[in-house]
Amino acid sequence: MQEFDHIQSLWQSHSVEVKISSDEMLQQAKKEVNAIRNKSLLNIVGMLVSFVAIVILWLCFDFNSWTTHVGLTLFLTAIATSTFMLYKSHRLLAQHDFTTDPNEFLGNLKDYQLSRYNLYSKMYWIYTIALSLGIALCFFEILSYFELWAQCLIVGFTFAWIVFCSTLVRRAVMKKEKERIGLLIEKFERIGNQFKEQL
Amino acid sequence: MEKKDQLFKQIFDTNSKKIFHLCYGYTGDEDAANDLLQETFLKVWQNLDKFRNKSLISTWIYRIAVNTCLTYLRSEKRQAKDELTDKIIEDRPEELSEKNEQVALLYKSISKLEENDRLIITMVLDELPYNEIADISGISEGNLRVKIHRIKLKLTELYNQHARI
Repeated sequence: MQEFDHIQSLWQSHSVEVKISSDEMLQQAKKEVNAIRNKSLLNIVGMLVSFVAIVILWLCFDFNSWTTHVGLTLFLTAIATSTFMLYKSHRLLAQHDFTTDPNEFLGNLKDYQLSRYNLYSKMYWIYTIALSLGIALCFFEILSYFELWAQCLIVGFTFAWIVFCSTLVRRAVMKKEKERIGLLIEKFERIGNQFKEQL
Repeated sequence: MEKKDQLFKQIFDTNSKKIFHLCYGYTGDEDAANDLLQETFLKVWQNLDKFRNKSLISTWIYRIAVNTCLTYLRSEKRQAKDELTDKIIEDRPEELSEKNEQVALLYKSISKLEENDRLIITMVLDELPYNEIADISGISEGNLRVKIHRIKLKLTELYNQHARI
């Protein structure tokens, strides 16, 4: 192994320079951990605000039609379910244990990515259908208070917004997510094979 | 809180060079290695309360670094890093002394190994005890010895091949 000894001495004789000091690293770690927490929290707070706003709307206005009540119930259920999912996903993300051995870690990560992908694709449609149905039911009563041109404008804008989110936005997000997850899974499988004992 | 900060800084000062070496061996790219180093210590900071002295703290940090490296994905998709090494050699020949050229060849040779083998050989080159490498990589010590022997042979062969070109 004379040649390998040469490689080893070459490796050990060359110095590497760490570009960041311990103070900078500490500051950055604190900042990043807070940023991750804030982003996730902001997401959940945003959903809770929408939930509270709809509850206030429901309580403050005297809606007469049963369709509005059913629509608002659908709305609130969809928002509450999504908020719960967001919270669960946030907790799962925080539970990624980088301190376990690579085999176990990669196995858990692969399961997590797959479940996230399934959740992401199925949940989006359930959420969109529930919201669209909720809006449609609410519109029966709410639109009756507006003039015809305003009714057309509101319905047109809402419809366009739902179509935009369900096609362009959804497709772009799904494509990005699919690519990222596909690449990760492919990588996990390749690395998983490397961990198999080749004796 | 102050105690945790102090402990973190001490851990960083003691381990950062070796972890950087590991990340550099894995990616063959200094900037990417720096990113991975920072990502590793970010996770060290996040998980510091979980550390229970069941193993050496260096083993624990290595394990985090190995897992971070294994999940590393470049945004522009996986780019063969040997291309990068070639580019460095072609673009800046005047900057490369004979020793630097040998080091660049060594990185290029490491980059030809499989991901897991790259991490293992980097730890071997840094003279980590075999039991510690086994603990970090989750491979039994007996199998690890065989694996290391094979990787050493492969790396030597690759290095000599590149050196001849």
